[in-house]
Amino acid sequence: MRRVFTGLLAIVAVAGLSGVSLAVWPIGEPPKLADLEGDAQRGAYLARAGGCIACHSDPDSGRPALTGGAPIKTGFGSFVPPNLTTHKISGIGAWSIDAFARAVRQGVAPDGAPYYPAFPYAFYGHLSDQDIADMWAAFQGVPAHEVTGGENDIVFPFNMRFGLKLWRAAYAKGPPTEAVPDRSEAWNRGRWLVNGVAHCGACHTDRNLLGGRRASQYLAGSDDLPGGGNVPAIRPGDLAQAGWTVESLAYGLKSGVMPDGDTFGSGMGEVVRHGTAWLSEEDRRAMAAFLLDKDETGDGG
Amino acid sequence: MTFKKLVLCGAALAGLSAAAFAHSGATGVVKERMDAMKSMGDAVKRIKPMMSGEAAYDEAAVREAAQAIADEAGTAMTKKFPEGSTDHPSEVLPRTWDEWDRFTGLAQQLEVAANGLAQAAGNGRHGDGHMMDDQSGMMGDHSGMMGGGMMGGQSGMMGGGMMMGNGEFPEGVTASQIGQMPADGAFMMLTQTCSACHDRYRKDDD
Repeated sequence: MRRVFTGLLAIVAVAGLSGVSLAVWPIGEPPKLADLEGDAQRGAYLARAGGCIACHSDPDSGRPALTGGAPIKTGFGSFVPPNLTTHKISGIGAWSIDAFARAVRQGVAPDGAPYYPAFPYAFYGHLSDQDIADMWAAFQGVPAHEVTGGENDIVFPFNMRFGLKLWRAAYAKGPPTEAVPDRSEAWNRGRWLVNGVAHCGACHTDRNLLGGRRASQYLAGSDDLPGGGNVPAIRPGDLAQAGWTVESLAYGLKSGVMPDGDTFGSGMGEVVRHGTAWLSEEDRRAMAAFLLDKDETGDGG
Repeated sequence: MTFKKLVLCGAALAGLSAAAFAHSGATGVVKERMDAMKSMGDAVKRIKPMMSGEAAYDEAAVREAAQAIADEAGTAMTKKFPEGSTDHPSEVLPRTWDEWDRFTGLAQQLEVAANGLAQAAGNGRHGDGHMMDDQSGMMGDHSGMMGGGMMGGQSGMMGGGMMMGNGEFPEGVTASQIGQMPADGAFMMLTQTCSACHDRYRKDDD
């Protein structure tokens, strides 16, 4: 009798389990990246917000946009942002969208080599498949150009790329971007931009000797940017003390004007010119609201 | 021999007193240009809230501020940067003199933008009467500066707009062209010119 009971129990358990399994058993497959239709306009917007165009172009060189940026000089050597045009050899013309997704979100080249963190892929990991498809569509529209900005010149031992695998394990995690339910939509949108694609922390968070961002110094400023520049702390208290409001910061991200009438320098002018000035008013306000830790985009909040 | 010593001694003394002054705040040409920069910043600060919509638009105030900036731009500015004038607390980067043509070009551009803003003052803000509607779609920001407009032809990915990627105006842009723009667009051309120069030639200490 007991045995029958146990057997019944087992059957019930299995049935229950399979019921659950049936309920959650996925049918069909999530769409592959290549099956998604990309919106090139939206992708170009993200490429602006992410600084792709700013960093991978060098207007002073006379080369066309996106054929590769000006060298970024650091203590580890000189990093040259590569050609992102559709040229099959110099650029990304021979890539698949999957290779593009892996490069942008994971920082891994098509040949499997890890990228150097001069490329802020850690901040792009939150981009959705649709975001990637949109960006891919935008990049597909860029005319092919063969010319490049040259090669990286990295000092030993940092020129041994396998060491980057250790670096990745320790530091390749961006700040959080997922929505916080009890905060406003604007605050969450701002967080998605600031902590994600706009990658403010790539400069405004200080780095350690290995170039890893020091999490405890999140947005607390840095005095050792590539080229020796300083950037201020931009935590809510720091910004408020410097006289910023949501309204003035949103406008600052458009015009470059600071509360005292001075204008940005040290590369922030470029960030505005190539990046935030192109964003929607709504997105600039969202960034300002998040940075000042307000839920509203007006100054009533 | 004695004469040479005397000269050396004098030079050393002069050097010492220069150093002493340097540490007690800006002097000479460094002070002059810091004052000039401050006065331009004050002018920007006076009209910025009108451009962002935080304050009511005042045409005369915009014209006056633009004129004040134009007066300090161009050669009025560059003559305050004699080669090697890097005394403390100056924030100028030595690159300024390596790239003198480019630096003077930006100073000239500031004068063009400021004169343009003075002419555009009567046009008012683009956004006025539109309930914050100075956006049309994702890429356009039709305050006159960014969208296709005057420079035309771009797919969103390839730059364009009224400023070149390096912060310089396209060849041949004149004050009277800028004078046709809404005042807030002209103002942005002006402030982004300031920024382009600060980006490249100023070392920020804070």
